[in-house]
Order: sequence, then structure tokens, then C-alpha cells
Amino acid sequence: MFKELDPILHSQLRLAVVSLLIGVKEAEFTFIREKTNATAGNLSVQVQKLKDAGYIEVTKQFKDNYPQTTCKITPKGIEAFEAYVQALQQYLKVG
Amino acid sequence: MSDEKKMTEQESLDLITNMIQKAKSSYHDTGIGSLLWGTVVSIASFVSYFERTYDFSIGFDIWLIVLAAIIPQIIFSIREKKANQVKKYEDDALNSVWLVFGLSIFALNFYQIVVPGVTSKFIQEDGWQMTKHYLDGSKPDEVLIPFPPSFYSLLILLYAFPTLVTGVVKKFKPMLFGAVITYGLFIGSCFTRSEYDWLLGGVAAIICWFIPGIILRRKYLAQQKKHV
Repeated sequence: MFKELDPILHSQLRLAVVSLLIGVKEAEFTFIREKTNATAGNLSVQVQKLKDAGYIEVTKQFKDNYPQTTCKITPKGIEAFEAYVQALQQYLKVG
Repeated sequence: MSDEKKMTEQESLDLITNMIQKAKSSYHDTGIGSLLWGTVVSIASFVSYFERTYDFSIGFDIWLIVLAAIIPQIIFSIREKKANQVKKYEDDALNSVWLVFGLSIFALNFYQIVVPGVTSKFIQEDGWQMTKHYLDGSKPDEVLIPFPPSFYSLLILLYAFPTLVTGVVKKFKPMLFGAVITYGLFIGSCFTRSEYDWLLGGVAAIICWFIPGIILRRKYLAQQKKHV
């Protein structure tokens, strides 16, 4: 029986964001935008969806008078990512 | 990158691999810190070697430049922290290792300054003293203040430790090789006269920090160019 792929993660930009965050402690929004080549607007929407799902934590603060948004993966996000990769592997083994 | 595009399982896996790789290669060490410490420690070591070998003094303790280097290091650290857009899990651990290294260097220097005087006082209280006795009788005996022999060997040993940890954790071969060679220099320094320890210490600073610093700096500048 195949596990269904998590719809929150099975989207190009959201998966890219979580894959970036899985290997680091935290990353700024600008860093994620640069690495994913996404537009700020689209990225904001997807980050918000990941936050709503409890997969990432988003901290907003001011740094040198500029707003700074920092993202960090949560334990729930790590768990979901691991389950997603396991499900992918299952699909690929059969394929 | 769009959100709407449907991905196959293979595309998902490729995307994950690609992003993890991007996060891994996003380390932006400016190399300034390594260059700074490699420069000041090697200069101080070589000057100490020449002062000892050719019996002259430059008029002040050259190791004060190492103490002075703490100020620019703090400024660089604050700037780098501000510029860094990403924080990795190993960053805090490595910073702690270098902090402990700095404290240990100061503790060892404190030991070197304090212990001879204190030991001298204690042994005098016990009713004896150390003397320098010339075997051929060419000079009269001299009272000797106890000193830790080949002290700089211990510093060379200490130089290798945080360098090796950083090299292993960051998989940065120049520091890894630098640390391994420095362990060799430490062993060598145990068999040489103390003035040569300074020379070996200077070489250790160059291979542990200065050369890796140049490589890090080049990488950093090349990365900066890409962003322009």
C-alpha cells in the first residue's frame, strides 16, 4: 500500500523551501528567495502555507532598521519531510 | 520557481537533492579571521625566533599584536554575523570550539607567566633552589627560576585542535591537512631547541590559518562576483 504524498510538501516551491531549511538551523527570507529563484510574493504565500501547517516557524524582526524574516523548520516539519522522502522512495522503487 | 507545476516523484527527489546541495554550499566564510590570525601569530612567532636566535630586541613584546588582533576580530565577527543570511547547525558548536581555544591560549600564557615565580617561591620555602651548573666549570653556577621547558610546543599542539575540528566539520581539506601537519610540527618541536619551536609555531600558523584563509577569501570573492 503506497503512502499518499503530503500535498503540503508535494509542490515545487514549498518542497524547495523545506529542503533548504532541513539542512540549516535557520535562514532569512532573502536567502530562500535567492536559492529558489521565486518571486517575493509567491514565496510569501507558500511560506505562510508551510507556517499554517506547522512545518516551519517564521520570525519577523528588525535588523539595522530593515524588516527581516527568518524561517526555521519545526520538528513537525522534519517529521513530514522524512515521511515524504520515504513515500517518494517507495514510489521510485516500484517505478 | 512556480508553485503550480506538477512534479513527478523523480523530479521531487532531484529538487530535494538540489536544494540540500545549495544549502550546503552556501557557507560564506570571508576568510578574514583566518588571514588575520595566521598573519599575527606567524609574525609574532618569527620575530620571537629572530630575537632569540640573533639576540636582539625590537623594544616591545611582539605578542601584544596578537592581543591587539582581538579588536578587529570582534568587528569582523559582528559584520559577518550581520551579513550571514543563513545559520547552520554547526556554527554555534564551531564558535564555541574557537572561543575555548582562545581562552585556553590565554590560560596557558597565564600559566607560563605565573608558575615559574610561584614555583620558585615554594621551593625556596622548602629550603632549596634550582641552579644552572656548567659541566666544564667555565662559568660560575647561576640561580635558575623554574620554567616550563619547550613551552611553545604546547601552543603548537593547541593550534592544531580547533583547526582539525573545523576542517572535519566543514569538510575543508586545507584546514584538515594544516592541522595534521601541525601535529607533526608539534612532535618535531619536542625534539628541537626552544628557539626553533618559535619557527615551527610560525609555520603552523601559516599552514593552519593563513593558507586556508587565502583559499577561503578567494572562494568568498568568487562567490561575491557571481552575485554581482
